[in-house]
Amino acid sequence: MKLVALQSLLDNASFAILLVTMLMYWISAAFPSIPYLAQGGTAGMAIANLSIFVLLSARWIDAGYFPLSNLYESLFFLAWGITAMHLVAENMGSKNINSKILIGVFTSAIAMAITAFATMTLPENMQGAEPLVPALKSNWLMMHVSVMLLSYSALMVGSLLAIAFLFVSRNQEITLKGNSLGNVSNLRQNQVSLNFDSGFNTGNESSFESSNGAVTTLSLPSGILAIERLTLSETLDNLSYRMIGLGFPLLTIGIIAGGVWANEAWGSYWSWDPKETWSLITWLVFAAYLHTRITKGWQGKRPAMLASGGLVVIWTCYLGVNLLGKGLHSYGWFL
Amino acid sequence: MANYYSKFLRRELFPILGNLKFAIALLLIIAACSVSGTVIEQGETLDFYQQNYPEHPALFGFLTFKVLLFLGLNHVYSTWWFLALLILFGTSLTICTFNRQLPMLKVAKRWHYYTKPQSFSKLALSTELIGRSLEEIAPVLTKFGYQVYQENGQLYARKGLIGRVGPIFVHASMLLILIGAILGSLTGFIGQEMIPSGQAFQIKNVTEAGIWSHIPKDWAVKVNRFWIEYTPSGAIDQFYSDLSVIDNKSGKELDRQTIHVNKPLRYDGVTFYQANWDIAAVRFTLNASPVLQLPMTVLQAKGTNNKVWGSWLPTKPDLSAGVTLITPDLQGTLLIYDEKGDLVSTVRAGGSTEVNGITLTIKELVGSTGLQIKSDPGIPLVYTGFGLLMMGVVMSYVSHSQIWALQAGSSLYIGGKTNRAQVGFESELLQILESVPTKILEKSYGV
Repeated sequence: MKLVALQSLLDNASFAILLVTMLMYWISAAFPSIPYLAQGGTAGMAIANLSIFVLLSARWIDAGYFPLSNLYESLFFLAWGITAMHLVAENMGSKNINSKILIGVFTSAIAMAITAFATMTLPENMQGAEPLVPALKSNWLMMHVSVMLLSYSALMVGSLLAIAFLFVSRNQEITLKGNSLGNVSNLRQNQVSLNFDSGFNTGNESSFESSNGAVTTLSLPSGILAIERLTLSETLDNLSYRMIGLGFPLLTIGIIAGGVWANEAWGSYWSWDPKETWSLITWLVFAAYLHTRITKGWQGKRPAMLASGGLVVIWTCYLGVNLLGKGLHSYGWFL
Repeated sequence: MANYYSKFLRRELFPILGNLKFAIALLLIIAACSVSGTVIEQGETLDFYQQNYPEHPALFGFLTFKVLLFLGLNHVYSTWWFLALLILFGTSLTICTFNRQLPMLKVAKRWHYYTKPQSFSKLALSTELIGRSLEEIAPVLTKFGYQVYQENGQLYARKGLIGRVGPIFVHASMLLILIGAILGSLTGFIGQEMIPSGQAFQIKNVTEAGIWSHIPKDWAVKVNRFWIEYTPSGAIDQFYSDLSVIDNKSGKELDRQTIHVNKPLRYDGVTFYQANWDIAAVRFTLNASPVLQLPMTVLQAKGTNNKVWGSWLPTKPDLSAGVTLITPDLQGTLLIYDEKGDLVSTVRAGGSTEVNGITLTIKELVGSTGLQIKSDPGIPLVYTGFGLLMMGVVMSYVSHSQIWALQAGSSLYIGGKTNRAQVGFESELLQILESVPTKILEKSYGV
């Protein structure tokens, strides 16, 4: 069948595109003076997103059911989610090009690694579409699994942004905005200007520093308009908060959908299965993160550290539980 | 005395329980305790723990099976300390809602104008425009979705107040879910039955029951038929049970449904789920005999999931000779082996074969359906909680944005803040400023 050929073309293509995209982001982070690389990265992400979308659609048409029946499909769905969430993060209103590059440096790498694992490491027989087992024959499958994977993608991008923030602000004391109290620390006026001495700033003055804490003067034909803009680290931190803020409702809805499905199918909305428990652990960790953001005196690096730790928790929840071989998230006695 | 206690509660205990750092610690502690239950095998036998967690050498130097069992780490999620943590969590949620969230919502709803230019420097984003008028800003803010209040050269605009309400919904719904779960465990029950096709049963084999649970006695369930549909490749496609609810007194059929995995039967607050299966018996005739039935027994290869069902069929009246009937599934094919263990023939249901001079006709294989039976009166509360929780978390994503403006002479001070989406708010505010019409300006500069 032609769709099969299309699929094997597309999964390798997605990997190749993401590899190129990643290189563009990395080079543009190292040499910010090279023009159009960041735009190229964004375009690469969009193309990869589209090609994975077509790949999954082809499998859907081919197999006749929503393509989330095995690890291979689930990995590609996750990679699609990460590229989508990357584009969401890029379009969250920041005009700061450096923040876009830094998002891409991390997200393109993880998306590339996922597609590489799916296409090259997974054995051939695990890549094919398999018939659904009876327990999974339900419309809830689409609802539950797709929302869960989207939430993992958003949370992963959020966690990666927290890592990017920690990386950018590694030499500074920082007090940040973005807490739900709506208070703004007056400390930011005293903030040290960012210093990208290692790796980032290779002698080019026009690079990152120009956008840090810059006073933007809009070229209106009138008046004085001087607004102190968010710095790069503040931007990254807030984008991280927003992405986790987006992933958290998705995670909640995904877990609830799973609970309702389990109750409709097996008579119990919660049974402390390892996968379930780890999704709850993920939920608790990110709930704690969201609360650290409104805790006085804890803004800044502490929440970001918790969010970066969250990355490990998400991966354990997504893959680790299954790799341990304990309960394959298989309810009932059939599987 | 009572007064003293309530004072102690309000002054000493509530502030701790409602404290954010305490709540964060509690969330992380519950998470850490939950991890232990996924690492240590739950609900195994004493033997298992003795073998895997010996006293010498103790795992990590302390985790022997005695410590493990003492702490209840073999059933983490039902230990007193885990349940106590959950109750503490519920208490913290309640106190936080009343001591923190509701007052904060009240503060957020209250608003005031800024009357001094100095006030603007305290805002996250603020600026001073020359030659602009307040009247020009107001319609732009409305266009961006803000609710605008203005008088005497002062302006206040806000949007996304719903983002302040969301967290309250989240906390309240979590409480509903906890209460629903407790109610369910007190008034519900879980049972299992394995019933051959054609038989009726009352709910008897109850594995877990709450202290106030009610197990219905005035009706029974009849399994009209159980069958499995297979895919062309022989894999299981779906399991089906045709069930009837029968009134015990009149024998009348009250309900009849065919259930499968993901489609249970609900009756009188009790739900029957398709959960397991078995082969109960084989029905056959020998020569011209009436239809006879022999039970089938499951045979499982050690350490694997491969099962077959078997039965021994005597072919002589004194039982001195016979054949073994084996089947791997409910598709209807039987393998017949002689005493030496050699395959003699295979028969399909409805077919015949000659064994030891006798004509054996297989009528059918009788399947048993394994039903999971459950009643949980807490479900309506839990589901309401689920609904509100989903609504609450979505609402909580919205950022509460506020903008102030003040006309002071030819200067227009404008500034604002938001509680979540600083990046988005910044670009929105810049857009707002850019889209303020500039015609006043030309007038004031009077080219």
